[in-house]
Amino acid sequence: MGSSAKKKKEKKKDFQKVKLKVGKTKAKAANHTNTSFKAKAIALKQQSISTHAPTVEAQCAHQLSLLNHKSDTQRRDSLAYLTTVISAHPPGLPLPQPASVIVPTVQRLVLDGSNGVRQQMLKLIQSLPKADIASHTDSLLLHTRAAMTHLSTDIRTFALEVLEWLLSVAGDEVVSCAGGWVKTLKCFLSLLGWQAEVGSKWSAMRTYGRGASDAKVQVKQMNTLAAFLRAGLMQPTATVTIGAGTGTFPLWQTEHHVLSERSNAFAHLNLFGSTRDEEAEMYEDREDRQRVFHELAEGAIAAGIEQSTKGGGELGRAGAYLRKAMKEGMVDFHRVDLL
Amino acid sequence: MKRKLGALEKVDADLTSLQYKVRRDPQSYFEDHQQQYMQYQTLRDLLLQNPSTSDDTGIVRLNDLIDFVAHTADCYPKAAAPFADDLIQILSLHHDELQADLRDKMVSSLVLLRNKDLIDSATLLNTLFPILVSTHSKSLRALLFQKIISDLRSSNVKATNHRLNRTIQTVLFNLLTSDRESTKGLWAVKITRELWKRQIWADARAVDIMKEACLSENEKVITGGVRFFLGGDKEREEAADESSDDEIDMRTLRHQAGINKKTKKKARELKQAAANVKRKERKKSAPHPLNFSALHLLHDPQGFAETLFSRHVQNSKSKLSLESKLIVLQLVSRLVGLHKLTVISLYSYLLKFLTPRQKSVTSFLAILAQATHNLVPPDVLEPLIQKIANEFVSEASASEVAAAGLNAIREVCARQPLAMSDTLLQDLVMYRKSKDKGVQMAARGLLSLYREVGAELLKKRDRGKDATIALIAGGAKEQRFGEEAVGEIQGIDLLEQWKAEERRKRREAAGLPADAAADEVEEDEAENWNNWDVESDDSDDSGGWINVESDGEEINISDSEDEKENRPAAKKAKVAKSETGSKAQSEEPVQKQISKLLTSTILTPADLKQLRALQESAAVKSQMPGAKRAALLAARHADDAITAETIEAAAAIGKKSTKEEKVAMAKGDREEKHQSTAAKRKEKKESEGKSTTNKEKARKKNFLMTLGKAKGKNKRSLVDIKKTMKGHINRSKRGGKRGNKG
Repeated sequence: MGSSAKKKKEKKKDFQKVKLKVGKTKAKAANHTNTSFKAKAIALKQQSISTHAPTVEAQCAHQLSLLNHKSDTQRRDSLAYLTTVISAHPPGLPLPQPASVIVPTVQRLVLDGSNGVRQQMLKLIQSLPKADIASHTDSLLLHTRAAMTHLSTDIRTFALEVLEWLLSVAGDEVVSCAGGWVKTLKCFLSLLGWQAEVGSKWSAMRTYGRGASDAKVQVKQMNTLAAFLRAGLMQPTATVTIGAGTGTFPLWQTEHHVLSERSNAFAHLNLFGSTRDEEAEMYEDREDRQRVFHELAEGAIAAGIEQSTKGGGELGRAGAYLRKAMKEGMVDFHRVDLL
Repeated sequence: MKRKLGALEKVDADLTSLQYKVRRDPQSYFEDHQQQYMQYQTLRDLLLQNPSTSDDTGIVRLNDLIDFVAHTADCYPKAAAPFADDLIQILSLHHDELQADLRDKMVSSLVLLRNKDLIDSATLLNTLFPILVSTHSKSLRALLFQKIISDLRSSNVKATNHRLNRTIQTVLFNLLTSDRESTKGLWAVKITRELWKRQIWADARAVDIMKEACLSENEKVITGGVRFFLGGDKEREEAADESSDDEIDMRTLRHQAGINKKTKKKARELKQAAANVKRKERKKSAPHPLNFSALHLLHDPQGFAETLFSRHVQNSKSKLSLESKLIVLQLVSRLVGLHKLTVISLYSYLLKFLTPRQKSVTSFLAILAQATHNLVPPDVLEPLIQKIANEFVSEASASEVAAAGLNAIREVCARQPLAMSDTLLQDLVMYRKSKDKGVQMAARGLLSLYREVGAELLKKRDRGKDATIALIAGGAKEQRFGEEAVGEIQGIDLLEQWKAEERRKRREAAGLPADAAADEVEEDEAENWNNWDVESDDSDDSGGWINVESDGEEINISDSEDEKENRPAAKKAKVAKSETGSKAQSEEPVQKQISKLLTSTILTPADLKQLRALQESAAVKSQMPGAKRAALLAARHADDAITAETIEAAAAIGKKSTKEEKVAMAKGDREEKHQSTAAKRKEKKESEGKSTTNKEKARKKNFLMTLGKAKGKNKRSLVDIKKTMKGHINRSKRGGKRGNKG
């Protein structure tokens, strides 16, 4: 049979003697098993081989780098660590990592998906010295605005907390930085659903992603708006006068000649940025702000207040509070208008 | 137990569903869109503060937002107007710093806006093109190139968008001319070549761009441009063939649709396929678009060839490598040969390269042959031929070398026979006695060439029969420099004869004298007009002809009937002006007759068909070797290039190929082993790791294993059956095998 011949041949092959050759490596046996292996990665037991304990600075830098970690808990824990280190720090000494390093890395977490991380992040920036915050207001405010217009309700609500804190720490900077006044106002208007120009015929607009737009959230929004308006429209309470007296006799109006107290004093010149439109412009003057507010938002807000005071209760009270803030802020503007 | 929630569910941040809703009902979701637009703006501002940051902060990325806004932009065209400007600005300012995926998203969103017609093509291309030229990222370049090409294609689909094409061509042209040293011009070359291949740009302006590329200073750009001229048209033809290859089999599709489950999708697919087939049919029957080759569209080829030669080849300062120089030379010689240009310095330049030791010398030989045409002065070519003969063709040189040399001489002399002197020719022809087959064949080729074009240069005994007879008869006149052959239609004399024969037959049938009268000749003509396409209506390809009967009749009436009425028939034979064709007149010189038929009549399609048939019937003549060779030469298109392979071909004749080569040659590109379709299917199934059918398994089963079962089923005796039946009844009575018997 044909197949048996084939099989015989195959059998023969098994018992063939392997020829050895001079100068050649010995042929491997048929049952030889290759035991070598390759590894794609080598895992180390401990990550560092240095024997010294890392300094606080190094640890802080490490924890800062962990803020990009993909796990929620890891991010939260790192934030907690940083918070404890900073709050335990004696007030006179410089921080283990300067605020100019911490704030830019931390501020992204305003938009974080996890609630725990966001809360911890707020705690951390609250623990930072107030003087350091002022110079980072514009970027912080940018992130806050991004959070205020976020698709997620939780993040939108959280943004109000951040903004409240910002206003309490550096209210003046918030309202006078580039885009800080007009854009934030617009944010509020869209948050509350008080649009200046109403395009549709329907009175009740159900908006998407705001299923739980209950009174509580709206009250909070209105209160924050009131705080914002107060910061922007109120008369600056305490103007520090430097050497307004006879102590420096030959010098008059010294306050105009000393260095500005504010950081980035020439920002309004916009030397290096792109050209700004009305929205992104800086409104440093109170009167400017009043004018823009009058043009853009006053009508819409007044109408909104009307609506909410009709509802009464918590909402009505918030409306009244907001109206008061607005009136107080715009008192002298109307006088100017009349003159 | 609490249900676990996905991240997006938790935060109801679902842009996809919002996008869906916005697209369904734009007015109701205006505010939500506005809010997202604001979010996009803030994130954009954040990005602009530091363009190189990654944007994957939080859960909603700028990437997704851009996608969302771009997809919903057509719902709110006014609100999203600045969006395109934003993207354009960010891309053109920061394309090098941006994260790759964000950058790609921006590009594709911009293209999406273009497809939604929110921005126009010119804006898009004017944005993308500078980035394409300046970016350092390879992947971005690939993306942009693809987008640019596809946009140009789509805007030229319905009708040629001349305005857009012109602006882009101007941009490309300016790119080439603004900086001749840089490699940036390569993009102009690439884009033009691609569009040429797809037949979107087929005009002289595209050729002008390539011409400019050839004259640039950068080697890459130069070779890109030159390669286009040498191979662009072939590429275009191949692409056209390729696109028509993928045919849809409607019958199978219909059959499948009848059998498979009927769904809307399937029905739609069938409809689409039918439409496709129809479109293809229409395209097939439509007249072929008249595409000129790039070499023919060139403006001022003489100037172009001269500048190319002097700038890149002759110029001692040009730093081109030998390879690039060779292809530039190829282009120059191609131009010279095709347009019959006069670049005298080219030949003296080639002289120094014609030695067997020169690298890629066969290419040089091919270039020389290509650059030769009948208007090149013979005294310019003579030293070149002399040199080839001296350097290549000698008993001492290798046989391949000699064969290549002889072949090159033959190619040159085929184009300009006057370049050969009789002593040299007689010398070279002697090589047909060589032992090497390649040399032998090459020498024979030269011999047979000169038997046709210049037999008097050969020795008497080499001339052959035909040439000797022709020489004695004086028929084969020596062609002189600059002389052009008179144009004629091949086989027109046959047609002439046939017509005369027909007419004579008809007259004989009518019982008239064989001599044709002029009126009848004219009647014939009129008949011809009537039978415009009587004889050709069976062929499909002439469907484009329109039957113009009435015109033909009018001519008939106006011409011949007037004459008939006015003059007696007997006189007409004397009045006859132009028509001949009777036997008596056929003894006049043939030349005159032909010219008369051609100049006095218009050949109808029926005539042309008859002409073709007559040519075919004269096939006996075409079987003769000389005619065969002529046909072969005619088949080789004048546009086709001569390559080094043509020169080397003769040497390959004598070479013995190895066994493997022979086997491979015999096999060709056929499939290795023959298989039935069933076997192929089975193999495919096995390779996919699928199991066999039950039938197959049963067939494969070991024979001994099947025996028992087969026996048990079929061969039971009646007794056996009775036994089992009884057993069955018993069992059922006592309630199964383990019944309650006790």
